Amino acid sequence: MAEIREAIEVAVKALSGKLEIAEAKAKAAPLSRGELNELKVICIGQNQSHLSFMLQQLRIASKSEKPALGALINEAKKSAERRISALEGQMARYEAERAEGARAVDVTLPPRTPVVGRLHPLTVVRRRIEASFRSLGYEVADGPEVESDWYNFESLNFPPDHPARDAVDTFFVKGGGTGRDRLLLRTHTSPVQMRTMLSKKPPIRTLCPGRVFRKDDIDPRHLPVFNQVEGLAVDEGITFADLRGTLAAFARTFFGDRAKVRFGPTFFPFVEPGVDVAVSCVLCNQKGCRVCSGSGWIEIMGAGMVHPKVLANGGIDSERYTGFAFGMGVDRIALLLHGLPDLRLLLENDVRFLDRVWSS
Amino acid sequence: MKMSLSWLASYLPGPAPDPAKTAERLTSVGFIVEGQEGEGPATVYDVEVTANRPDGMNHRGLAREAAVALGREFRDPGAGAVAESGRPAAELAAVFIEAGDLCTRYSARVIEGIRMGPACAAVRARLESIGSNPISAPVDATNHVLWDIGQPLHAFDLDKLATGKDGRPTIVVRLARPGEKLVTLDEVERTLTEDQLVIADAEKPVALAGVMGGLHSAISDSTTRILLESAHFHPGAVRRTAKANGMHTDASHRFERGTDPLTTLDGLDRAARMIVADCGGALRPGVIDVISVVARPFAAATLSLRIARLNRLLGMEVAPERCLSILKALGFAPERKSGVIGVIEVTVPSWRIDVESEIDLVEEIIRCVGYDQLPETMPRVFVPGESAASSILEDQVRDQLVALGLTEAQNYSFVSRDENAPFVPAGPGEPVEIENPLGEPFSTLRATPVVGLLRSAQHNVRRSRVDLGLFEVARSFGWKEGKVAERRSAAFLLAGKRQSHWSEAARQADFFDGTGVVAGLFAGLGAPAPRFKAVSFPFLAEGRSARIMAAGGVLAGWVGVLAAPLAEGWDLVDPVVGDVDLNAIPKPAAVTTVEIPSRFPGSAVDLTVTHRKEIPWRLLEETVRRTGPVELLAVDANNRYAGPGVAPGFVKTNLSVRFGSPERSLSREEVNGWRDAAARALLALPETRVDGIE
Ligand SMILES: [Zn+2]
Repeated sequence: MAEIREAIEVAVKALSGKLEIAEAKAKAAPLSRGELNELKVICIGQNQSHLSFMLQQLRIASKSEKPALGALINEAKKSAERRISALEGQMARYEAERAEGARAVDVTLPPRTPVVGRLHPLTVVRRRIEASFRSLGYEVADGPEVESDWYNFESLNFPPDHPARDAVDTFFVKGGGTGRDRLLLRTHTSPVQMRTMLSKKPPIRTLCPGRVFRKDDIDPRHLPVFNQVEGLAVDEGITFADLRGTLAAFARTFFGDRAKVRFGPTFFPFVEPGVDVAVSCVLCNQKGCRVCSGSGWIEIMGAGMVHPKVLANGGIDSERYTGFAFGMGVDRIALLLHGLPDLRLLLENDVRFLDRVWSS
Repeated sequence: MKMSLSWLASYLPGPAPDPAKTAERLTSVGFIVEGQEGEGPATVYDVEVTANRPDGMNHRGLAREAAVALGREFRDPGAGAVAESGRPAAELAAVFIEAGDLCTRYSARVIEGIRMGPACAAVRARLESIGSNPISAPVDATNHVLWDIGQPLHAFDLDKLATGKDGRPTIVVRLARPGEKLVTLDEVERTLTEDQLVIADAEKPVALAGVMGGLHSAISDSTTRILLESAHFHPGAVRRTAKANGMHTDASHRFERGTDPLTTLDGLDRAARMIVADCGGALRPGVIDVISVVARPFAAATLSLRIARLNRLLGMEVAPERCLSILKALGFAPERKSGVIGVIEVTVPSWRIDVESEIDLVEEIIRCVGYDQLPETMPRVFVPGESAASSILEDQVRDQLVALGLTEAQNYSFVSRDENAPFVPAGPGEPVEIENPLGEPFSTLRATPVVGLLRSAQHNVRRSRVDLGLFEVARSFGWKEGKVAERRSAAFLLAGKRQSHWSEAARQADFFDGTGVVAGLFAGLGAPAPRFKAVSFPFLAEGRSARIMAAGGVLAGWVGVLAAPLAEGWDLVDPVVGDVDLNAIPKPAAVTTVEIPSRFPGSAVDLTVTHRKEIPWRLLEETVRRTGPVELLAVDANNRYAGPGVAPGFVKTNLSVRFGSPERSLSREEVNGWRDAAARALLALPETRVDGIE
């Protein structure tokens, strides 16, 4: 008679297993009404269900076993009913929610977007330039915007009364003194290089970003306030070829792998030799376009080997150490990168402009 | 600077140079051809000649460069012989240099018996091709020499020069006497000062030295006797004189940059020959050639070029033979130093005043070798140190303000005096003005970036963009203790609605949005929360303005609603503005220990307090805190109400007090005990009631 008990116990397990599968499925998505009915029939239906099979077995069980087996079956039935009812409840709530519609929204209405702030394009471009040079080992330095004549000019090999100063129209501070102490708005960030040399021993790799001032009338190509990033490397054995290699590496990280640089001779008092640096036009692949004026090259910076006089003014032995310096206009590069027609856009802060163009 | 190709070619024997190739090669050696007119031999270039190369500002000098760049021969035909006759020049005029430190050399020749007339067609055509108008044969001759070999000349009417004691017309190179007057060729009367160098006759100034001649002594149609001046002036002296008079001439451009002291005689001969050819007359024998007693003798400089140093600087090898040939072609006299291997002794030609040291020779060589020959190498690896803390902080602040929903602006650093004035009390010092501004609104360095933000806001409002959140991280300026102080700050402006959605009523930005930006900035930077203290600034709305106090009571700027009259001027209604001093934001330590959050949830109690409106929140908060055990974590305001049910002059504040312990759960009883203690303390405030507590 042990077979009957065994058969019932197997059926109880099978019933529970069936429900477990259904419950697992319902965790992902409520069961449909059809699925639930089917489940009910198989588990506790009148005919051919797990329950009806157990009751059949009970009928043929011996009298002495009947009470215990009956209790076992009853227990299984109640549990099954409770579990099916839970699944039904879940289904009913789900159906009610779908039927209700009261909490439905028009999902196409505008979202409640938090106010999104943005960085200024000049900040984005400056950071990209900084990142390129940081990866080459440069640290960022900082200095005053109101400078003395000595730091801005004389120490950088612009002697007083020298025509080289004509190229840099300078704003002076009213009541700002005379001679080498005369206060002015820095015309380049090179004074930061001088301050760096005076405060640090080589090796030096410094990047000097910042605002600079030139007395230019405001027009699409000129602003009296603009931004530069200058760099300085001083070490034993730094060569002119290193300058070319460094700027070529920068051009590739900044303008893309195919960018090349070209040097052309020019004159800046603080470097010797001094060069204009052009980058191959990445917009037209050097076929010639409006941006590069058909030349295939775009001039983006000035550079050169630091003049021995400037090294000496910076307290550095120019026989032992050599160095190079370079400088570029952030505004002009921003103009170039974004195809902007007019520098003035950059300082108008029209939010339609600031919001539309930029992502960092 | 306009340069004629055929004029250049007169120094380049052989076939006519190709215009395009010549332009390209000149550019490659540093004389940038920016434009080109005409074709073939009639080609005229627009060449940019840098300030250090005055020797390239004439056709002979530029031709020398072109010869090197093109690999061609350079040949100077020279002035050619000129017949002299009659009385020696020295008997007809006298020259004295008084200002010997400012005039190194003054050479003069005399031509008598000329008939004024035009220059020959060839000279006129040359001058016209480079945009110089022909005037008369003598004047054109001087202009031709300037453009030909770079020596500025001046022709005086000898009969107009006052005579000295010995009866000879006299030239004196001296500083002007204060108040002396001179009408220059441009018919402007100039009042001179004692730092201006002049050419005078025995009585009065007759020319601004190196800049422009005087009208009175200029040659005219009736002139028959000419004194030709060919001098070498101190560049600074000419520059000062020209600047003081606001003048810039072809002559001053060259003198300021430096002329060749050995060219004065060549210039005189070339001009004299042309004048005699065109106007007849007789060139009087001899040159009146006065050399300043204090001037350095015109000894050629000699420099040593170490080939090893050259190669080390460039990072590439240039053979010594190549160096020798380049330097020779440029007019230098290089020689291998006897007994020393790898050193070239180089004598610098008199016209290359820019070449002063070895590094200048290095540039000469590499620009002629070609920059495209330079390899691309990298300096040795360098481990950078920390970047400037100020730069790092500024960028962190920008990121934090962007995260708070503000958009970064950048403005001019200068504003108008009137725009700036209201903000001076909160700026770093007295206003800093520009001595030579572009005019208004650019005369004054801003006392706060808020001024620029107001301008930006106005720009946007006028374009119907009225809901604004802008910030700028920048410097403000002020005179303080005799120095210009630069303050780094983060300024912001909120105007219009802060956030609006169709589902709810929009809210205008108000004072608390302003303090919220400040608090959010501090929180984002890991600084202790700032406090706000009521303040009265004339530029902010009374009662809606505060000072920002960082930890320890450090003043860290201000925030508030802009005063209505100012706001109106900028087309704004109740904008909220603020300026946070970045130096005053406490910097978190580089290494800090992090407190582990408690495992126990803690609990909170609410208190509803009815009190006089004048009692500030800060007092309620501090009163509660003072009663609190160590378990008291925070006191927050939940709600504030005034209206029906609350007596006029009173408000009802609902606050919650949060308790917690890292070590244990708190019992209901102890929390209630603390709440009652807090309530009793609040009750002790004047005219204050706490709901549910007697
Ligand atoms: Zn292009």
